[in-house]
Amino acid sequence: MESLFKRWVILSDSTMRKKYEAYIKSTDAKIAAFLEFDVDRGLGLAAEVGKGGELEGVPFAVKDIIAVRGFRLTCGSKILENFVSPYTATAVEKLIAKGGVMVGKTNLDEFGMGSSTDNSALGKTNNPWDTERVCGGSSGGSAAAVAAGMVPFALGSDTGGSVRQPAAFCGVYGLKPTYGAVSRYGLVAYASSLEVIGVCARSVGIARTVFDIMKGQDEKDQSSLNSGTDAPEPEAGVIGVLGGNLGLDPAVDRAYRATIDFYRSKGFEIREINLSMADYYVPVYYTIATAEASANLARYTGIRYGYRPGYAENPEELTRKARSEGFGNEVKLRILLGTYVLRSGFQDQYYQRAQRLRQAIRADFDRAFTRADVILMPVFPTQAFLRGQGGLDQFQQKLADRFTTAANLAGLPALSFPAAVSDGLPAGMQFLAPAFGEARLFDIVRLYEEHFPCPQPPSCKPEWS
Amino acid sequence: MDVSELKITAELANLNLMEEEFVSLGREVEKILDYFSKMMEADEGSLPAGTERCGANRIRPDEQIRDINPDVLLENAPELEDRFIVIPNVL
Amino acid sequence: MYQSFIGLEIHIQLLTETKVFCGCINRFGDEPNTNVCPVCMGYPGVLPALNGEAIHLSYIVARALNCTLSPQAVFERKNYFYPDMPKNYQISQFSSPLGRNGWIDLEYQGKKKRIRIHEIHLEEDAGKMIHAGDMSLLDYNRAGTPLLEIVTEPDMEAGEEAELLLQNFRRTIRYLGVCDGNMEEGSMRCDANVSINLEGKGLGRKVEIKNLNSSRFVRMALNYEIERQTENLDKGVKVIQETRLWNENRDVTEAMRTKESAHDYRYFPEPDLPPFIPGAEFLARVDKGLVELPEARRARFIADYGLNETAADFLINEKATADFYEEVLKSGAAPDTAASWLQFDVRKILNRGNQELAGSPLTAQRLAQLLSLLAENRIHGKIAKQVLEAVFAEDKDPARIIKEKGWEQMNSPAELAALVDKVLAANTKAADAVRAGDEKPLGFLMGQIMKETGGRAEPRLVQKLLKEKTG
Repeated sequence: MESLFKRWVILSDSTMRKKYEAYIKSTDAKIAAFLEFDVDRGLGLAAEVGKGGELEGVPFAVKDIIAVRGFRLTCGSKILENFVSPYTATAVEKLIAKGGVMVGKTNLDEFGMGSSTDNSALGKTNNPWDTERVCGGSSGGSAAAVAAGMVPFALGSDTGGSVRQPAAFCGVYGLKPTYGAVSRYGLVAYASSLEVIGVCARSVGIARTVFDIMKGQDEKDQSSLNSGTDAPEPEAGVIGVLGGNLGLDPAVDRAYRATIDFYRSKGFEIREINLSMADYYVPVYYTIATAEASANLARYTGIRYGYRPGYAENPEELTRKARSEGFGNEVKLRILLGTYVLRSGFQDQYYQRAQRLRQAIRADFDRAFTRADVILMPVFPTQAFLRGQGGLDQFQQKLADRFTTAANLAGLPALSFPAAVSDGLPAGMQFLAPAFGEARLFDIVRLYEEHFPCPQPPSCKPEWS
Repeated sequence: MDVSELKITAELANLNLMEEEFVSLGREVEKILDYFSKMMEADEGSLPAGTERCGANRIRPDEQIRDINPDVLLENAPELEDRFIVIPNVL
Repeated sequence: MYQSFIGLEIHIQLLTETKVFCGCINRFGDEPNTNVCPVCMGYPGVLPALNGEAIHLSYIVARALNCTLSPQAVFERKNYFYPDMPKNYQISQFSSPLGRNGWIDLEYQGKKKRIRIHEIHLEEDAGKMIHAGDMSLLDYNRAGTPLLEIVTEPDMEAGEEAELLLQNFRRTIRYLGVCDGNMEEGSMRCDANVSINLEGKGLGRKVEIKNLNSSRFVRMALNYEIERQTENLDKGVKVIQETRLWNENRDVTEAMRTKESAHDYRYFPEPDLPPFIPGAEFLARVDKGLVELPEARRARFIADYGLNETAADFLINEKATADFYEEVLKSGAAPDTAASWLQFDVRKILNRGNQELAGSPLTAQRLAQLLSLLAENRIHGKIAKQVLEAVFAEDKDPARIIKEKGWEQMNSPAELAALVDKVLAANTKAADAVRAGDEKPLGFLMGQIMKETGGRAEPRLVQKLLKEKTG
């Protein structure tokens, strides 16, 4: 276990720390993964509790939608631009208790809404493989920070793919745990029934260690659960794969086939499975996610904290101005959609129907897992896309969530991993497992990692050790 | 969705929309709702009823927790009067 | 002829130590914004955590009101914006409230009547907004207080009946110990709705009345509203379905000024809280909290102790009094004597000192002792009253007071006979008059003897002796 973090034990040694901070400074000037970076404050939090823990002296970063006391909690939004959190998320608290040093908060799409991190009101984060391209989202800053060698791991949140997709775009591992496996206390809510705190990591082993530290039922999150059993997972033997035309970019398609071939060569049985509800993932996801978001984001009114407009005559004007001036376009769009699908007269047709479809999607996966131990699928139909014209517009980005949203709708764990580098960009794949089957995911992806280790973007060479 | 529906929706969401936002957001909302109608294709009879919820009966003991000083929370309020949070209300 | 239909929506704050979804103290009257935390202030990233005691107390009420329990109680979000509501949604229950279809039995105008309960659900209270000039002041101490809402069917007909129901209900929740029922401080609140229609035509257009800060106002507002609606219908004016406010200065209801905004609460299941499924074990614990309710106790007091209705009403009104009474009876006191002492002598002293029975120097044991001294003839009635006063004043047992003050009754015929002789000798004029057949001076002689003994002489014996010695 020690060797896993060995080269990352930086912050216990002042010489190494200087080199490290110099590296961050020069690297983040190009990448802009961090919204806030402060080693001293991070060390301060760890010093109170973390002596002798397995993460002692190891830096890590946290998506700026997860609360850390004394650090800002902007959610990438103007409405919380100057908000400082008075408390720390349970998951982060557990990492700090093991000595981990929370060095900074990473950029994201505003309130987690997006697939590029360009929806942040507080700056753009570049892909370490190609700074003209997006780093993915919404946990783009976390994935980019890990890919650029600035931290061994960074927390993100995955509501519909927000850890796995940027991890795929940046060429790192991205774990979306089982719904409820990690406490959501301190994760600013976008879509409460879908999301979970996840991790972007440099290696499968690191992701596994971090998950093992973070997991477990929390009294502050009554939707959190303990995994049923501590018995070792039986090894996966059958891998379910998707058939038919998946509408993938050629590089992603090639990577998918190559990954399948790899596992077949390792003696796994490859079985094509039929996910009959696949066409409904994206509309069901966006219906439920926006509905929940419309309520979750109602608390931002400029009354108790956050952005307050210059002038207002009454509470209502104050609230409306704060929200209209404080939220970006994509957030407003999703609030409007979510409000609409919950309205009486429309709720049956949209929200209620989506809930029933979600049930059917869960049942579909229950069936699929009687035929396969794990399911392998792409993360996103494209590699990291370009900004502007050459890229994807917001609507196309939503449609492209068709492989990631399934795990959120069904509450299943999923682990994305770099499967190839092609045309100078990584391509990511993901495995899905039954609820609380994280160990199965780590085991099977570990095999691939031995064959194809985490790639390093050519422009980033961490050299403090 | 026509403009009046969008207006009611914005009203419920406490959002003031500029004229151009009504147009641009309206178009985007329209497009997505249109896409959502895909959900109607699913065979109604085949769908299970209601919402499935995981877990049940989580409760906490009725004991005081005071790990954060309330004064720290008040410091975040844009305007205070003694210990009250103040908002404008010109009648 | 019109018929009126009255329904009530009653909110009660539950007597828990902490709030319903966070660990802040649940207490009235503290400095503004002191009992607050990120959860009840609606901070980013926090989650609600259901208080077990709040749910326990809720089910006690549901059971006491004879509700059918939902297989699972589901929390939902009720969405609307208001500055005193931190999340701008209220966690409440909607499609699957914890209880439905209950009832409260009333005796109204000499007839038994059953008022049906539509539903009962647990939710969170909002904070408070105070208007001050051109600004409003917000205090979130109350935000997140557990609030139980009880909705009746429109089964009542008059303000008096609604008032009676409220008093009845208040007594019940105080018995159950779930709420102190203080309408002035707002721990119990009530909105009323009323519609009238021609007899046999069913419900009319419903008018809701708010700002009812006492059960008396509930009665007055409803009766005012019935009258107002009747006049309207008589004149052929349609009643508008609206919300009106009771103006307690002018004794009228007034239309509430509302903004013409769309109302749509967009309820949906609260994803942060799993449902609550009341299991057998849980319900067994709930049933342990179900005490005998006031109505049942009243009936039992009348049947078992032979009390009249007034005495029974007085004794059962507060559970503490009824418990006290039965405690006194345990030591063998006569039910009617004990009742009368509590109803008159004890109450008089308590009222004078603005005291509650509970916590006063008079314990059930002390009253029992006093009554037994009286029954054993060791003191007589007048002294007993003095002893009671002394118990309150000195916080001592009656026996000790009697001993210390030497108030024990003089029962010895020999001793008293000597005394009577002495008084007769000292008052020859009066004694002679009595001997001559004039009974009037008897009282005077009696008084003299009492004066000699400090009131301790057993009066009947003295009377007997006097008669003998002057006969």
